[in-house]
Amino acid sequence: MTVGLRLFLSSAAFGVVIALAYWFTSRESIGTLMLGIMAFGLSFVAGYMIVAEREADLVGDKKDATMLSAAGELVGTYTVTSPLPLGSALAVTFVGLGIVVSPVIAVLGILALLAFGALLIIQSR
Amino acid sequence: MASNWLIFLAAGACVGVIVLGLIVFPLVRWRSRPGDGEPPQFANNYPLEIAWTVIPLLIVGGLFVATYGAEARVDALADHPAATVAVDAYRWGWTFAYRGGPTIGGASSGPASLGVGQAVPELVLPLGETTRIELSASDVDHGFWIPDFLFKRDAIPGQTTAFDLVPTKLGTFEGRCSAFCGLQHESMLFRVRVVTPSAFVNWEKAQE
Amino acid sequence: MSAAAMPALPEAAQRHNLLSWLTTTDHKRIGILYLLTSLAYFGVAGFLSLLIRTQLARPNSTFVNAHQYAQLFTLHGTAMIFLFVAPFAFGLGNFLIPLQIGAPDMAFPRLNATSYWLFLFGGLVIFLGAATNEGAAASGWTAYPPLSEIRVSTGLGQDLWIVGVFLVSVATIVTSINFVTTVFIFRAPGMTMWRIPIFTWEMVATSLLVFMAFPSLAATLLLLLVDRKLGGHAFDPAYGGSPVLWDHLFWFFGHPEVYVMILPYFGVISEIVPVFSRKPIFGYTGLVLAAFAIAGLSMGVWAHHMFTTGVVNNPFFAFVSFLIAVPTGVKFFNWIATMWRGSISFETPMLFTIGFLLNFLIGGITGVMLASPPIDYQAHDSYFVVAHFHYVLGGGSLFAIFAALFFWWPKMFGVKLDEALGRWCFGLLFVGFNLTFLPMHFMGVMGMPRRVFTYDAGGPLPMLNLIATVGSYVMLAGVSVFVMNAIVSARARIPVGDDPWHANSLEWWTSSPPPEHNFESLPPIRSERPVYDARVAKA
Repeated sequence: MTVGLRLFLSSAAFGVVIALAYWFTSRESIGTLMLGIMAFGLSFVAGYMIVAEREADLVGDKKDATMLSAAGELVGTYTVTSPLPLGSALAVTFVGLGIVVSPVIAVLGILALLAFGALLIIQSR
Repeated sequence: MASNWLIFLAAGACVGVIVLGLIVFPLVRWRSRPGDGEPPQFANNYPLEIAWTVIPLLIVGGLFVATYGAEARVDALADHPAATVAVDAYRWGWTFAYRGGPTIGGASSGPASLGVGQAVPELVLPLGETTRIELSASDVDHGFWIPDFLFKRDAIPGQTTAFDLVPTKLGTFEGRCSAFCGLQHESMLFRVRVVTPSAFVNWEKAQE
Repeated sequence: MSAAAMPALPEAAQRHNLLSWLTTTDHKRIGILYLLTSLAYFGVAGFLSLLIRTQLARPNSTFVNAHQYAQLFTLHGTAMIFLFVAPFAFGLGNFLIPLQIGAPDMAFPRLNATSYWLFLFGGLVIFLGAATNEGAAASGWTAYPPLSEIRVSTGLGQDLWIVGVFLVSVATIVTSINFVTTVFIFRAPGMTMWRIPIFTWEMVATSLLVFMAFPSLAATLLLLLVDRKLGGHAFDPAYGGSPVLWDHLFWFFGHPEVYVMILPYFGVISEIVPVFSRKPIFGYTGLVLAAFAIAGLSMGVWAHHMFTTGVVNNPFFAFVSFLIAVPTGVKFFNWIATMWRGSISFETPMLFTIGFLLNFLIGGITGVMLASPPIDYQAHDSYFVVAHFHYVLGGGSLFAIFAALFFWWPKMFGVKLDEALGRWCFGLLFVGFNLTFLPMHFMGVMGMPRRVFTYDAGGPLPMLNLIATVGSYVMLAGVSVFVMNAIVSARARIPVGDDPWHANSLEWWTSSPPPEHNFESLPPIRSERPVYDARVAKA
């Protein structure tokens, strides 16, 4: 079991404990609900990690690994520059502004987001 | 609750002085000098680490016990208060409605200084007796604060909250709004006048 | 290993024009963008605080009116919290985490850049409110309804505030996803989780806090927006809603947020103290456990901001709030033990670190006091609270920010900041900070509420406020000296080597600044201080 999984499992367990402690000492529904949602979310991540880790074999977790022993494996490829971040952030900002200022701006933002989404899909092929 | 303040100030001062000493001592004693070799590279001492977890735990445990008792005393509601006042906070003033008695209300005007002849509403309280306050607000959150009583309670629209005031000194005390409520928040003042019980009865009669 | 097995590396050199910065996905550049942008927002928020202090220098001042003043403290608080202290930490994390764990970049580089731009634009949207007819948001950074509801705060500024803060919270959540994934998956060979630097651990704990707390903020902001724009009544008692609902939902986020604003800086302190004490960090495991104890407990204390409402279980929240003092104390003792019997030198990063320890000690003690409901009944919404949170955020986080700037500036830019100017900067900030905020403890206990644009002309308040204002101008001098320092050192361009401080963690292995792919080579990683080990092995 990796350290990361242990972290999320113990956080989820803590969430359950504190949600219960809060309910039985305070009988207050808003806080209990929030703590419960938190515990659920953490369990969700822990559950995903349990499944994902079955096939994991991280070089970082090998105490005695060296650069040579791990060398040569292609981990992945990076895009070093991209117009998508600035573009999509601007588009999302337009959507937000549009909601409070004018629907025209929001529509422009949504159209831009769709365009960038398409660009992302094309780039990923 | 003044004694609670003193306990915490004393505890805080003690902890502060000790930790301050622990910070400053190494800086002076082990400041680097030319020709220093590498210092001993220790990085653990499990008994010490357990001690400095357990001892602070005991200290905050003690502080919690003190706090719990003090809070219980401050928040306690008497069975039969001598007087009950419904207090309403609004933008920007206070209304004091004595049950079976007068209603004092009015906006305070102008900034700050108390006692400069402005029309601040006055809450009159009998010395040594319990006055129940039932506090609410009409529009936004406000705060009912009497600094000399070391006490405040928030006035929140849609709910009424109750607390007891048992004044121990005669005199006139400042009251103000503590929760930001808009452009005249800082001038939302009131006054608390503590009088003897007989003077209080006379005052109530005179308001009719 | 044959040369044929190595994939060919791309040839393009990193450009330095504006377009390359606008389209970058390099975590180092994104980190620097975060730092510069958050420092710019700090400049604006700092300027607003000088306006606040100028107004409060004398009673009954007419320097600004009540409406302007309300916008000032709202924007000051919002900008310092959402646009400076937290983003600076995320910028530092962005620059350092891949370097500290031996990775070539973050797990999701394009997403990383996207969250930077969302942060920049979110801040601009918040400030856009100041250009509207009715001005910027003016209900405090806490935006309590009914004050922030549409029938009271009628202007567009409050809506823009909601949208801007929402964008920033999305950015924060996305960044935290990136951080955790990167640290879990992309560590170099031998870099086990128990060998990563304490700063990286603190960023993992901070990210966990963000996951638990920020969704609440985002949802709560949307609720307020529905109330304001779509006729909702979530917080309106006239229709069955409740102002206290906001208090719970907001502070469920709001309290963990303050730990988001301090844990990274605990990490900075934990990196600097060992280097300038020439000893390893003491109690590595204790520090890690304490970080997560703080993160977990901080989810259970939110209603200590609601002690005076009369409708929450005060003893529960007092108890958990007292508990948080214990792991915080553990960290302090670990730092002290690191210095113990060391060989301590006082370069500028260490000066700011010592300032942090002294200031945060005071802030921590007043925090424990505020955790006691009967004390909070007096102190809540008064200048005592203002003093407390400025001591932990200003005296704490801000001093750690300067420590981090002086410590990692050489690694980021390849030049060292001037030491003499650094000492002046520290001295002015330390004196100025304490002059500004120490009197506020007394102001609060004497009955001065917060968020007021004037106060009693009689009594000690005018003198105390004047001292505080003078202190704020001394801080301005300190910040100005830093700006001068940056300019002077940029001109002097005194180059630094890979490891000017004789430090411990992997970022000091590579060049200053690092190449685009971070590392040409890596040393063996067998402890939490691989660079120290390599130095010792070479000797």
